[in-house]
Amino acid sequence: MHPALSVILFTVTSGAGYGLFVLLVIFHLAGVGPAMSQGEVIAHGVGALGLITVGLLFSTGHLANKKNAWRSFMRFKTSWLSREAVFAVLFYPFAAIYGLSVLLQGPEIGLLGMIAALIAAILAVIVLFSTGMIYGCLKTIRQWNTALTPANYIMLGIATGSAAYAAIASAFGNATAMHAGVAIVMLLIAAVLKGIYYFWISKVTGPTINTATTFNRATVRLLDTGHTAGTFLTDEFGYDPSKKTTSMMKAGVFLLGFIIPALLLAAVLAGATAVTAWLAVASALIGVGMERWLFFAEAKHVVRLYHGDQHT
Amino acid sequence: MSALPEFENHGKQEIKYSTCYMCACRCGIKVTVEDNKVRYIQGNRHHPINKGVLCAKGNAGIMKQQSPARLHQPMRRKPGTERGAGEFEPISWDEALDTLSERLQKIRETDPRKLAFFTGRDQMQALTGLWATQFGTYNWAAHGGFCSVNMAAGGLYTTGFAFWEFGDPDWDRTKYHVLWGVAEDHASNPIKIGLEKLKRNGGKFVAINPVRTGYQAIADEWVGLKPGTDGLFALSMLHVLLKNSQFDWDFLVRYTNATQLVVQTPGQQGDGLILRDDNGNPLVWELEKEDFVDGSQVDIKPALFGEYTAPDGRPVKTVMTLLAERYLSDEYSPENTAEITGVPAEQTERLALEMAHVAFKESIELDIEWTDSWGRKHDKVIGRPVSMHAMRGISAHSNGFQTCRAIHFLQIMLGSVDCPGGHLSKPPYPKHVPPGIKPAKECAPNTPLKSPPLGFPTAPEDLVIDGDGNPLRIDKAFSWDAPISNHGLMHMVVTNAVNGDPYPIDTLIFFMANMSWNSTMNTAEVMDMLRAKDDNGEYKIPYLVVSDAFNSEMVSFADLVLPDTTYLERYDTISMLDRPISEPAAAADSIRHPILEPDRDVRPWQEVMVELASRLKFPAFTRDDGSRKFEDYKDFIINYEKEPGIGFLSGYRGKDGQSHLRGEPNPKQWEAYIENQGFFMYHLAPNQQFYRYANQDYLELAKHAGWVGKTDPITIELYSETQQRFKLAGQGLYDGPQPTKQEHKDRLTQFFDPLPIWHKPLEQTRIDEDEYPFYAINQRPMFMYHSWDSQNAWLRQICAQNYLYMNRQKAESMGIEDLSWVWLESHNGKIRVQVKLIEGCEPNTVWTWNAIGKQKGAWGLKDDANESQKGFLMNHLISELLPKKGDPVDSITNSDPVTGQAAWYDLKVKITPAGPEEEGSWPQFDKVTATPGMSESPDQLRYHAHKPVHLNRDIRDVLTRGSLDKDKN
Amino acid sequence: MRLGLVIDMDTCVGCHACAVACKQWNTSGTTGPLTDYQPYGEDPSGVWFNRIRHYEVGDYPNNKTVNIPMSCMHCDHADCVTVCPTGASYKRPEDGIVLVDQDKCMGCNYCAWACPYGARELDREDGVMKKCTLCVDRIYDDALPPEERQPACVITCPAHARFFGDFDDEESEVSRLVRERGGVKQMPELGYKPVNTYLPPRVTRPIPTDDVRANTLVSSVKDWVNKMVAR
Repeated sequence: MHPALSVILFTVTSGAGYGLFVLLVIFHLAGVGPAMSQGEVIAHGVGALGLITVGLLFSTGHLANKKNAWRSFMRFKTSWLSREAVFAVLFYPFAAIYGLSVLLQGPEIGLLGMIAALIAAILAVIVLFSTGMIYGCLKTIRQWNTALTPANYIMLGIATGSAAYAAIASAFGNATAMHAGVAIVMLLIAAVLKGIYYFWISKVTGPTINTATTFNRATVRLLDTGHTAGTFLTDEFGYDPSKKTTSMMKAGVFLLGFIIPALLLAAVLAGATAVTAWLAVASALIGVGMERWLFFAEAKHVVRLYHGDQHT
Repeated sequence: MSALPEFENHGKQEIKYSTCYMCACRCGIKVTVEDNKVRYIQGNRHHPINKGVLCAKGNAGIMKQQSPARLHQPMRRKPGTERGAGEFEPISWDEALDTLSERLQKIRETDPRKLAFFTGRDQMQALTGLWATQFGTYNWAAHGGFCSVNMAAGGLYTTGFAFWEFGDPDWDRTKYHVLWGVAEDHASNPIKIGLEKLKRNGGKFVAINPVRTGYQAIADEWVGLKPGTDGLFALSMLHVLLKNSQFDWDFLVRYTNATQLVVQTPGQQGDGLILRDDNGNPLVWELEKEDFVDGSQVDIKPALFGEYTAPDGRPVKTVMTLLAERYLSDEYSPENTAEITGVPAEQTERLALEMAHVAFKESIELDIEWTDSWGRKHDKVIGRPVSMHAMRGISAHSNGFQTCRAIHFLQIMLGSVDCPGGHLSKPPYPKHVPPGIKPAKECAPNTPLKSPPLGFPTAPEDLVIDGDGNPLRIDKAFSWDAPISNHGLMHMVVTNAVNGDPYPIDTLIFFMANMSWNSTMNTAEVMDMLRAKDDNGEYKIPYLVVSDAFNSEMVSFADLVLPDTTYLERYDTISMLDRPISEPAAAADSIRHPILEPDRDVRPWQEVMVELASRLKFPAFTRDDGSRKFEDYKDFIINYEKEPGIGFLSGYRGKDGQSHLRGEPNPKQWEAYIENQGFFMYHLAPNQQFYRYANQDYLELAKHAGWVGKTDPITIELYSETQQRFKLAGQGLYDGPQPTKQEHKDRLTQFFDPLPIWHKPLEQTRIDEDEYPFYAINQRPMFMYHSWDSQNAWLRQICAQNYLYMNRQKAESMGIEDLSWVWLESHNGKIRVQVKLIEGCEPNTVWTWNAIGKQKGAWGLKDDANESQKGFLMNHLISELLPKKGDPVDSITNSDPVTGQAAWYDLKVKITPAGPEEEGSWPQFDKVTATPGMSESPDQLRYHAHKPVHLNRDIRDVLTRGSLDKDKN
Repeated sequence: MRLGLVIDMDTCVGCHACAVACKQWNTSGTTGPLTDYQPYGEDPSGVWFNRIRHYEVGDYPNNKTVNIPMSCMHCDHADCVTVCPTGASYKRPEDGIVLVDQDKCMGCNYCAWACPYGARELDREDGVMKKCTLCVDRIYDDALPPEERQPACVITCPAHARFFGDFDDEESEVSRLVRERGGVKQMPELGYKPVNTYLPPRVTRPIPTDDVRANTLVSSVKDWVNKMVAR
């Protein structure tokens, strides 16, 4: 699949935003870790909403007919894209009530604020799940059509969000082993999940050029696609990175996305400055950006079988 | 059902019927027009050719009409600029016609043969031929010389009809079809319609072709033989038929010259000619009388086999004896031909026997009463349901004429000629073998030719040569180089004119002929020749006139450009005098008429010819008082009569429009054609549909309609005396004109033969085949065949770059990778091309799509268009002359030595990988510039005849529908 | 009704007539115009609803060339419709035709991702997804003669390789062909239940040759004895 920059930026930033928000609600409401000031809660909240909102703005970037974007709420009944849009919008009023509560009441918010926060956090996870399911439900792309897809989306959101949480907290001089530790654990879980995913997709299954063309008893080769140049289909589905590129990117995902952020956060644990935590976030975001690029680049749509691929 | 909006405003639309011209297939079209724009072109389901279907080209007619390459007004080469630079200035039609008619007038008054007029992809040879005849120049021909003359000649000198335009398989009844050398084309829709019928009826389809694309894709059996070996393969199958005694004895005795006796006196005059009585009638051996009798009689029992001594003491053998002696020889056994043809012996033998089985064990009997030429009534017709079709792959080889005859021999042996399930003729064919027209031999000032420029020689006396044996025509047709060149040699015109060989000319007119690009051999050098000047700085071809509708590669070489209309903007006839649209069971012709108003200052070439003919006062176009006879082309078509009652259009004649085939001119004839959807069809009665070479009712009709000159039966010529006469001339044994040059003697003795022979394609005998190991051939893709259409925005999206296709395993063994660039080199030059590896290609063969490659800037294409940057022309590698060996043959045309058919499939090449930096096609040429009036080609097209009427989904449905799975099932 | 196409791979010669007919009809049809990009320049492309692809089955010399025209299969389980967030994509309950409402589409491409058959193409100029409408603007048009109320691709096919009809009607030509010729579906394992069905190449009947084989082969002309055949 053609990795569209707008979609990469959208899912990475909003994913981190939702993750950050979920962490905020957990830390804030459960009261684990050191008590937060109003300013810190607001900082986490603004950070989360900022990431989410910027991400959602990016998401409209790939629409060819933006004036109809509002119609994307119409098919909640069947479409995960529609559900994502609905849940993403639904998240805002609850997040707003939570935010307002913090603004008015300080860190010690009332029941209404707490319920709103909880609902918003659940919605955040649902949005991440929906985003994952947008891809996960597609039978046309075996690399996506797995439960690992939404699991990855949720886990990567949480992991990048937890790193961001640790960074923001450290900016408030509130960095604790708790924050960094949670982030490290989340990053490592995400890394394992991602590893499982890569192992999963490396096994070739599903339709082949034979089942696509209906000729199952001999080698089938493409003679001619019947068109001179690229088409919408080849532009959209014909992306073909070299093995070398994907291997390098994959190394980048683990290194920048998980290992370096975890090490940097470990350094924070060991007493390094707040900047270190920010470096961890930056590294994680870049790494997950690479992960997202790979997620598309390695996804082979079955239409490619008609353009000559033997399998996906 | 939810209500649908009214998508089309039918009230605003108009339906018009005409004839397609996106290729040479001549399908009927039904055009929906809206505001002088085409809404939709579809096939006319009542039309005999296409019966409602339409191919990719026909469906892309709109884009031809939209072409940015359309020429806008008459132009002349800007004074002071060089020819070929493409710098033109617009002039008025008056000025253009004045200039041209003045020049032509001078030529006609002095030496009319100084005008050479050659036409390309047109379908109006009856008119252009008449024009040349009336002008008085024999230097006229159409493109048949590099297209299919071998097929026409091979048939007309054998059965009296041929493949494609003159004959068709009986698709409704055939049970076995063999397709020889037909790429994706010739014809287009009729073959597709036919193959489907064959398959639906459970018939078998065998495709003989080195390449398995196009029609071969759906073949039940593919014979991927080596190019140019079809003749040997056919004769090897003939060998099998003879070995197993599988031939139609009755058919051979009744309708062919198989029983005629051939004089056997080698080394003496008269050797190999048919034994005749004093009246010239062929003699046969009567088995009951045991004596020689006139073989043209009926109710005799002639010997099919036998050797006898003629009353004058000369030994004679029956034709069939000679035929059997030759083809029974081991030389033709499947085992011995396998290595040359690449076809395994088992396959050759089996296919021959399969044909025999279908012909003889699955014969058809139709209860149709018919009368033979001798007045005998028969109560049924017997069908031998094996049919064949052959075209370019046979035609474009220098052994094509002989190969074509060999294929007809198979049909004749099987008795599948003009019988149910076999190969049927199409009116006005069959004709007597060969047709009675001889080529014009003399040109005189201000005098029409005595006969048409093209004809059918039967003896050296018919050649168009001077007393010394030198060619008289500029293309050297009907000379010792190519004695039976029935269609001329258009591919030699530029070379010969520039060389002044046999003489220089003054004016060359090309109509719809891309002679500086894909319609010529040796393209790069021909471009130079068109620009060549003599020592005085004058162009060697002093004046070049081009008529075309589009800015083709050729236009830029013109001194005068006369812009033609598109096919949707003019009147035209697909005439019974030319190559009509007949079907086997119906004579049919058709018209075009304007569907759209031209938006440019252009005129149909037909109108221009009538205008010039009138200005030049050609007798056929002038009244006795000197005034012009025809107002315009429409008027000409109505009123011109070739002979009383016979004109260009055969339908709706007579004052009342009720006389068909022959009748007085009808002033309302065009209206009648338009009312009848643009065509006329005369259905033959069942008793006129078969055995037409000896069918009294048919031949009487044919004589009435002017299709044949006499009602005598047509004898199918297995043995060609014409061939033998030329062979004798080569041997110095002919009582008449004989060649003086050794090379001509050699060609006549080697390549003329009264019975088909197979010989190696000529190019291959004059190069080192080890150095050039690959056969290289061209074909046209179905969506481009004969459509000259790289300017077509839709068709070029299907393919704008041709590749060099080669067998995958072969390429891999040579280390040549898919999509890599290679050098392709022949004895004539080299080109750089991109390779594509495929399975369906004979390993010793490479091939490409012809005429995809374009000169930069031509046809309204942008500079970076794939056609010019990556596409290529194989033509550069093909020489119009035979490969040089330093002998007199060097200056002889690279053509079939019998017919002059351009031998552009004879090519052999070598392949070497290109260097790492070498990409893109080579050679490249100067850019063809846009001509005045042409607008910039757009970056985007959004063609539509009207604003779309959208179909909207109900918003309630959007909100309430659940998943499909629950919805459905 | 369940309208769709049957495509005969035994007779399809790969001529692209159906594809161009489709382009021609639909560029002025209900979802037209169908934009063409760089129509006269490098790498020309455009919006088409029907594309013909060419394949080779088997290795030389046991290879066969196969042409496969592909357009919307109007699947029973059309995921393109399921995933559409705006409701622009829908499957008509009355005849099963899958359509895109040009006024509702936001051009997100998601439906194209969900389609395994490459049936949907975005018109970048209009910003909306376009696809085969099964010529909904022809097949119900009472102003057309009944025999022309068929998709443009079917009417034009020179090899008669395309058939249009109701797959719910067991007596229809399409149902009969699928039954008699063993119609096959592309990628059935994905479960889309495409309506369009392909007919595999026919197997030719064997043609006997024993009955035309001579017991003793002729070796010379003298082996033949003349028959008394009257001319």
